[in-house]
Amino acid sequence: MRAFSTWRGHAGCVALAMFLLVSCSTVPPAQDESQLAGSPPRYSLVFIIHGDGDYLYHDTLGRARRADKDVFERAQAIATGLPNADVVIFHEIERRHVLFLIPRHDGRAYYYRRGRLVAQESYWRDQGDSHFAPEAKLYKQFAGAQPHPPVRMLLYFGHELPEFNGLGYDESYPKRRVTINDLAEGVKNIAGESEELDLLVLATCFGGTPHTISALAPYARYIIASPENLHLSYFDLEPLASIEVGSGDADIAAFADRFARNAFDQLVSEVQTAISVVVYDVSATGAFRDSVHAAYARTLTAANGTSLAAVEHCDCASDSTYARPGMGRGLTVLYRAPRFGRMKHEQRHSGWECWRIAE
Amino acid sequence: MLSNKKKFTNSIVPTCPRNSRGATETKEHVMFTRIALRLIVVIGVLGSAGAAFGQDKVLNYFNDTALKVKATESPVQKREILSNNLSEMTRALDAAKNSSLTSAQDDMQLDRVKATLQEKSDELVGANGFDRVPDDQLNAFSTYIVQDMEQADKSITISLVAALLIVIIIILIV
Repeated sequence: MRAFSTWRGHAGCVALAMFLLVSCSTVPPAQDESQLAGSPPRYSLVFIIHGDGDYLYHDTLGRARRADKDVFERAQAIATGLPNADVVIFHEIERRHVLFLIPRHDGRAYYYRRGRLVAQESYWRDQGDSHFAPEAKLYKQFAGAQPHPPVRMLLYFGHELPEFNGLGYDESYPKRRVTINDLAEGVKNIAGESEELDLLVLATCFGGTPHTISALAPYARYIIASPENLHLSYFDLEPLASIEVGSGDADIAAFADRFARNAFDQLVSEVQTAISVVVYDVSATGAFRDSVHAAYARTLTAANGTSLAAVEHCDCASDSTYARPGMGRGLTVLYRAPRFGRMKHEQRHSGWECWRIAE
Repeated sequence: MLSNKKKFTNSIVPTCPRNSRGATETKEHVMFTRIALRLIVVIGVLGSAGAAFGQDKVLNYFNDTALKVKATESPVQKREILSNNLSEMTRALDAAKNSSLTSAQDDMQLDRVKATLQEKSDELVGANGFDRVPDDQLNAFSTYIVQDMEQADKSITISLVAALLIVIIIILIV
């Protein structure tokens, strides 16, 4: 009896393991077409959440949090509350193994249409160079016979996207290079025929540089980014819950401003380090970006051959190589100095961050 | 190099009776090296999970200190907790750097972290051009340290070995 019980236990374990293996792959829930009837969604939002790295932070009460999981939950809540939108969420996760042997998928994608989760799928991210090709393919695949409405906003959450080198961005793939150019390529592929996005939100540290904004400029009319460190609690997403897009330039400019101010206020209430949230009106920043392009490119080339420890960020306005009259054109800069430290008396930031190589 | 290792051992062992100190140091040095190497091998085998463990442990150490500061009423005690925390972490960085297991690249990065910790120590007491942190801002200052180190953790890249060494030393110190 005991032997039978043990055998039954083992069989149960095997069955459970098989179930988990199967359930870890593709899980497309049956779509209830009746729920999808009615007027088609008017716009698409895309979230890309990088979680393949160290995303531990502590909230104001000292509780340990995982930034990627927090923002994923918030994105899900937004997705279920938008009756006129297609929302696709990509969560890039650490590659794990079953019993140390069998690799499990390292990405999960969720497709919401008019507030309902209609598909979800585990997938493999790029195994070689990263161009977000699997995400772009899945995005198109989710739409099926009903094309997505235009992508109006794309939000990326993760660590600083490197402008040079790029090794080690993914903890699971330390030898793979990921740079801001890869994200730009991914945005281009996902947006497809949507022309320019209305708004691209780059929730990373040091996203507000001339090089990064230039890389993304062809694909977005407005960009929200942080030129300094961005705390892992990220930008608050609440304004997305009441979004109405596609009504015109004035509306999207007003929304970008509202989103940035809300994020800034939220960070001010929680964070003691520096806070910078900047809205870039992309076309209006072109003159400054062009004027520093050559100098910035030379610095990146030099930095690429230098130890990382010898390279540091700085406000572009503090370096005569980059400081220009009118460099604030097209920018709405929200900045609060750190409450402590050497920079606590620096009450201004130009909104542009550059690189400096130590002598 | 040998003298460095000796200094490293001195920094983490309790004081011993004078007549047996040399022998005890050697034994403890050997024991520490064995423990450290075993932990590095075990956690190294875990790969990225090991690295995450190392990084998380360091961040939790700062967070635990902030919680202690906030739970303490007396500003004098708050300062003492913060001061001890910063000097213990500095000792751990020194010990890791002097262990000869870290690379030159690691050492440069460790020096950067050490410099930021030194600035925080200076600000706490109002030295080297810093305004002294007022008593009523010590809780906020402890949060600032946690958040600043969480951000430094993302921009300062040290090897798995260096990260683990720091963790091991913190475990032994605390």
